[in-house]
Amino acid sequence: MSGGVRRSVGALRVAAAQFRLCVLQALQYRVQFWTEGVLRVAWSLMGIAPLWVAVQHRGEVAGWGVGGLMVLTGMFTIMSGIYGAMVQPALAESMAHIRRGSLDYLLLRPVDAMVSCLTSMYSPWRMLEVLVGGGLVGYGVYREGVFSWEGLAMGGALGVLGVVVLYAMGVLMLAASFRALRLENLTFMLEAMLDFGRWPVGVFRGLLKAFFTFMFPLAVITTFPAAAILGRSQAGTFTVAVAVTLAFVFAARLAWNRGVRHYTSASS
Amino acid sequence: MTPRVAAAMWRFGMAEAMAYRASMFVWILATCFPLVSLALWSYLAEDGAIGGYDQAGFVSYFVAAFMIRQLTSAWVCWVLSRQIRLGELDAMLLRPAHPVLHHMMSNFAALPMRALMALPLGVGVLVMAGGGDPVAWGDVLRTLPTLALAWGIVFLCQLTVACLAFWLTSATSLYEAWLALHLVLSGYLLPTSLFPERFAEVIRALPFHAALGFPVEALTGRLSHAAYVEGLGLQCVWVVCFGVLASLCWRRGVVRYGSVGA
Repeated sequence: MSGGVRRSVGALRVAAAQFRLCVLQALQYRVQFWTEGVLRVAWSLMGIAPLWVAVQHRGEVAGWGVGGLMVLTGMFTIMSGIYGAMVQPALAESMAHIRRGSLDYLLLRPVDAMVSCLTSMYSPWRMLEVLVGGGLVGYGVYREGVFSWEGLAMGGALGVLGVVVLYAMGVLMLAASFRALRLENLTFMLEAMLDFGRWPVGVFRGLLKAFFTFMFPLAVITTFPAAAILGRSQAGTFTVAVAVTLAFVFAARLAWNRGVRHYTSASS
Repeated sequence: MTPRVAAAMWRFGMAEAMAYRASMFVWILATCFPLVSLALWSYLAEDGAIGGYDQAGFVSYFVAAFMIRQLTSAWVCWVLSRQIRLGELDAMLLRPAHPVLHHMMSNFAALPMRALMALPLGVGVLVMAGGGDPVAWGDVLRTLPTLALAWGIVFLCQLTVACLAFWLTSATSLYEAWLALHLVLSGYLLPTSLFPERFAEVIRALPFHAALGFPVEALTGRLSHAAYVEGLGLQCVWVVCFGVLASLCWRRGVVRYGSVGA
């Protein structure tokens, strides 16, 4: 047990050190702050348009009023910021390593190879989205007047599960790229699919709802944490979120172990 | 000479599309978001029509948007921008045929393959969603010229942005910004007529709507004859605008081109 704790602390320290390096690197290119950070926030906020139009016509969406949707949008902005700042760059970098065969250097390090891959690159500017999203969540909660510490704690816990699911989906794609090369477009597809996390999962019905809860769990990533913060979680939400997260983590680790065996160095 | 060259380039483009069919299929999947929007908006329209669209209306609209997006796709921006950055354009400039002609034919030649792959998907969703509004043959005929012009707008706009790479080294991030606008303003995620009236008027005059929303509305029979003719005129205006811009950027840029890599 203590070995497991030590390993996780070690992994976190590697992640922190890599992140610091990437921040220092990013500070050299300040023009990117505008193109990657500020513009990204602008685009992200522009993506609200469909939701906004729906509210204009209907007044609410699947039981979510304006304040609630603001919290949801904030949660979405946080999550897509985390994906863009931490998950996507690491995936793109690792896939390039796999294609070129330079993954060797990562495998040789005295750190778990998966941790090495997932911490291989960050785009710090995109953390700006996380800040803006946090602001939106705060404003939405204030507007609705529903603040509670339990809600916040529950929302935070569910948010962490959401981030874990994002990483697990990333690892699944990475594992797939050991077999088929040139899967970078998949990571962009994932990012685009993530956009439907702007909508409460309740707008989907039947198969599609199941798909967005279990297969491509947008519900776990955005709807559940936002609902918890608003203090309107349905019974069993937490159980579903934990179960989905565990399933994804398990599948991801399994796929990774199988995938890395297929790696043939120089040109895989 | 030129028709024969163009035909050869067409065959080349077709062969290329065949060779990379798996990658193309991923791209088609990546562009099937209108089909998710369909589920979303038809749920919202459950309690009554939204801005003239009932459930069947949304089904027709989004399936049409998906198909038309496939038929008006181009990717010259990414390829040409890379060729300029890495200096790969050299070889193309040495050929007796114009590089732009090459790109035009290679982009154009992939369309039949794309349509063939996307059609079952579109029809399947149409059936699964319980069918849309019936489509009149007259509307299909009226859509054909709008499709050609829409493809012209997409291609020329990408060409213009790609030529900026002569100055900026890499222009793809610029085009990605354009794409983000396109997603929201073209009628891809929602019909532009649903925006509040003041916004809708402005949005519908922009090239984004001319490149996608207008042909979709023509196909789904939502345009009066006057609106159709007006939209066609607007499309021509945008084609000419981007055509002039692209040829200007190309001519100025190719003089600056540093060959070994910009």
